Amino acid sequence: MSHAIEVSGLTKHFGKIVAVDDLSFTVDEGRVVGFLGPNGAGKTTTLRMLLGLVNPTAGTATVHGRPFVEIDDPVHTVGAVLDGGMLHPGRTGRNHLRSLAMAAGIGNQRVEELLELVALKDAGDRRAGGYSLGMRQRLGLAAALLGDPRVLMLDEPANGLDPGGIRWLRDFLRRLAGEGRAILVSSHVLAEVGQTADDVVVIDKGRSVAQAPLEEIMARSANQGGMRVKGPDVRRLGDILYSDGIEVSGSDSEIFVKGKTGEDIGRLIAHHQLVVSELSPIGASLEDIFFELTGGSTGGPS
Amino acid sequence: MTRLVGSELFKLRTTRTFYGLTLISLGLILVIVILVSALTDFQPDEEVLTDMLGAGFFMQAITLLLGVLIVTSEFRHGTITPSLLVVPDRTKLTLVKLVAALLIGLIIGLLTALVISGVTALVLAIRGLDTGADFSTFIELVVGGALAAALYAGLGVGLGALIRNQVGAIIGVLVWLFVLEGLVGLIPGLDDIVPKYGLNGVRAGLTGAEDGGGGPDSLEMLGQVPAGLVLAGYVAVFMVAGLIFMRRRDITA
Repeated sequence: MSHAIEVSGLTKHFGKIVAVDDLSFTVDEGRVVGFLGPNGAGKTTTLRMLLGLVNPTAGTATVHGRPFVEIDDPVHTVGAVLDGGMLHPGRTGRNHLRSLAMAAGIGNQRVEELLELVALKDAGDRRAGGYSLGMRQRLGLAAALLGDPRVLMLDEPANGLDPGGIRWLRDFLRRLAGEGRAILVSSHVLAEVGQTADDVVVIDKGRSVAQAPLEEIMARSANQGGMRVKGPDVRRLGDILYSDGIEVSGSDSEIFVKGKTGEDIGRLIAHHQLVVSELSPIGASLEDIFFELTGGSTGGPS
Repeated sequence: MTRLVGSELFKLRTTRTFYGLTLISLGLILVIVILVSALTDFQPDEEVLTDMLGAGFFMQAITLLLGVLIVTSEFRHGTITPSLLVVPDRTKLTLVKLVAALLIGLIIGLLTALVISGVTALVLAIRGLDTGADFSTFIELVVGGALAAALYAGLGVGLGALIRNQVGAIIGVLVWLFVLEGLVGLIPGLDDIVPKYGLNGVRAGLTGAEDGGGGPDSLEMLGQVPAGLVLAGYVAVFMVAGLIFMRRRDITA
């Protein structure tokens, strides 16, 4: 059984610029994969190569083992949202969906269902030029779902959504993955996929810098922030640790310890019979990890 | 295939540009036809209907623009991306657009020719005059006008696929049609070729016109059938070139 999405050795040069550099990863059904990287890292180019819109310089990008352009029934196989601007400003949202549905042999009833689903039923007869970014995103999502596809690719779908919309999107994606679909969702904001993704693929300057289940990345972040200890005896504990050459900072009631696990510190406390009220790991924020993985590059506005 | 062509026609008729262009052009044609047929002192041997149907040129130019728009507006607004997600094969999508353009061009061209003929006959009848055309001539003229509009629309699709920049493609084709081809046709040595075989010349020949508005007075236009074949050849050349570019291009927006 081939992977729902498979990218292998994928490379794209635009003139002298290397947009994507020997990238490989897979997405399986039932998984939400967060595709992360700063602006300009090559996320959109990768998705466009997966969808046959951009021709790769080298490597392959396949859906269920076949290049997208060779799939017999693309609308019912893959749904994609690429950015919020892919609309004719003079055409209504409803007619935009209908034109696509018509080409795919899908009836108007499905169009109405989707307008309802993305809360655009009332705005459906307004020309799309007047839509907000969030409305365009939701219309794009409706278009992606026309054929009820098993594979979804979403490029920065949370852009332009308000907090309620982001939450709606998150629940929605989880539900779709729960139905056994494969979902690849790109973002430049790690927190955005933090509560949605099963796995993450992080790229920077076109190269993969990390690929792991999200929990693993989170665990990695938990160890990096160090430990916080609170309680009446923390000053003594700090002195003991300090004399062992361990990095300690803080005050009389609360100290921060680097380079020791919670268990190490717990044993020390027991050994010296100290009283503490709290011993907890300080999670580096997801953003810290993200910056570390991508070398702190922020790209530019895309 | 039917549903894909249907989708293209649906896209076309769900924008105001389509109605704006065709209605403005139709209005212009009506004004010209009514004024000329009402006020001209026709000579007894003049082929009035042939002359009047020459005004159909304005609509043929519009169907050419519609053909260009069918392709370029997708690039301009980025709708090419969702369109290609439904029909990933670019050759197929472009050929679908060609069929849609030929169809809409044919319909618009036919209606325009019928409207011109009807209005001319009406105005002349009021003046107690005759159009000077028998039924078979009338059919030839109307069919020629309709086919010219259809093939011009097809030419627009090929051109749009070749030059996806909407403004560039439209300005380019209008400048060529209205200015450059006429100027090139003045160059000695080319003055009996370009006015006859150029885009204006073959269109005029196809519509059954006696002259295309250029070249020496003695220049004879191609007959309807050879003119139509040459124009169809141009459509084929532009389509092949356009398809080569369409297939290679990276769709990045």
